[in-house]
Amino acid sequence: MKDVLIWIHGDCLNPHSPALLAHPDAPRVFVFDEEVLAHYRLSLKRIAFMYECLLEIPRVEIRKGQVVAELAEAAREQGCTRIVTVESIAPRFAQLRAKLQREHNLPVEVLPLEPFAELSQTEQARIELKRFSRYWNPIKAKALALNQSFDW
Amino acid sequence: MKLKTVFNHRDELIAYLRETFPDAAARSPEIADTRGGRKAAEAALAQIKPERYAATRNHLKGAVTRLAAYLRHGVLTLAEARRAVLQRGGVKAEKLVTEFAWRDYWQRVYAQIGDGIWKDRESLKTGWRPTDYAEKLPDDIAQGTTGLRCMDGFADELRQTGYLHNHARMWLAAYVIHWRRVRWQAGAAWFLEHLLDGDPASNNLSWQWVASTFAVKPYYFNRDNLEQFTDGVYCRACQRYRNGCPFEATYDELQTRLFPRASERVSNR
Repeated sequence: MKDVLIWIHGDCLNPHSPALLAHPDAPRVFVFDEEVLAHYRLSLKRIAFMYECLLEIPRVEIRKGQVVAELAEAAREQGCTRIVTVESIAPRFAQLRAKLQREHNLPVEVLPLEPFAELSQTEQARIELKRFSRYWNPIKAKALALNQSFDW
Repeated sequence: MKLKTVFNHRDELIAYLRETFPDAAARSPEIADTRGGRKAAEAALAQIKPERYAATRNHLKGAVTRLAAYLRHGVLTLAEARRAVLQRGGVKAEKLVTEFAWRDYWQRVYAQIGDGIWKDRESLKTGWRPTDYAEKLPDDIAQGTTGLRCMDGFADELRQTGYLHNHARMWLAAYVIHWRRVRWQAGAAWFLEHLLDGDPASNNLSWQWVASTFAVKPYYFNRDNLEQFTDGVYCRACQRYRNGCPFEATYDELQTRLFPRASERVSNR
């Protein structure tokens, strides 16, 4: 499909990301978010590390600036009408995604990443986040088992 | 603005980044030896020895994995790393998988509270009020000029390499928060500037664990502990070893000194 632009973000600098696998021919863009760089005062070594990760993603386009404006420009240049990416729990990700839709009419499809351990709904429901032990004890056996097929 | 993606060698890339990100280069121009990318991540994963990790991880020279930066940026997934070490180590990989689980745990908390990771999760158990802590990180800590060989060494390593062993992170965080009485947020922000694996959730919530705002007690240490897990390399070279080392004390003495107003015992041991 020629209408898809893949948005690569800092939580998934992986050449085998589900978005890249789902749309192997689509243009892919990463934007160094100038607001984030300034806010966190990110050091050059952090930028260099991310840049090296990006350079191993075939045909990646790397930009810097305002994320929403840069992605919209890339979409326009490539003739793309929608964006595909992978999930991120960062609050900023949700804000940027909403803004792409609102200001540029670009819908963003978010693909899930493989979870740390496949949990049933019952197991999910037993997890409490107050302390690590209350999260870990209910799922420990599952997470330490290589074969997860014993979920009946 | 579109950036270059073709470079002949690493030096060319670094020179380009210095020009392209002048603010970052002016603040902290260091470049780490650690390479980014999937190939480097897979190489790091292939070198892991789960059993050795479990036996030696607390020691600064221990067989740690150096996977965190790749996990933080999703170059590897936590699921892949978990599978790889279980295939190799079986039950001997339990400790390492448990450490991976900590990352999953911090991420789940982040998903729930978002930017709330910058606020105290719970009240302090140190006997001090939030306003008793300084807002800003003192320059001597960030610059590595405290005169304490250990803490200065850790600060230098952080700046130069973008990496610190987990135990060094804990000691440094405890020093910042409990000995210097600086807000954990100032230390957390400093780490995020430099750590290649700097992740807001893992980083901030770990600082909160040391501070006691996400734990039942504060984390602190003494010199015996630091000396043991560093083979004394810092202590031997430290001018303050026999001259006012602030860490030389029993845990009971430190408790009285650091947390004189704490209502309950907050001893680590």
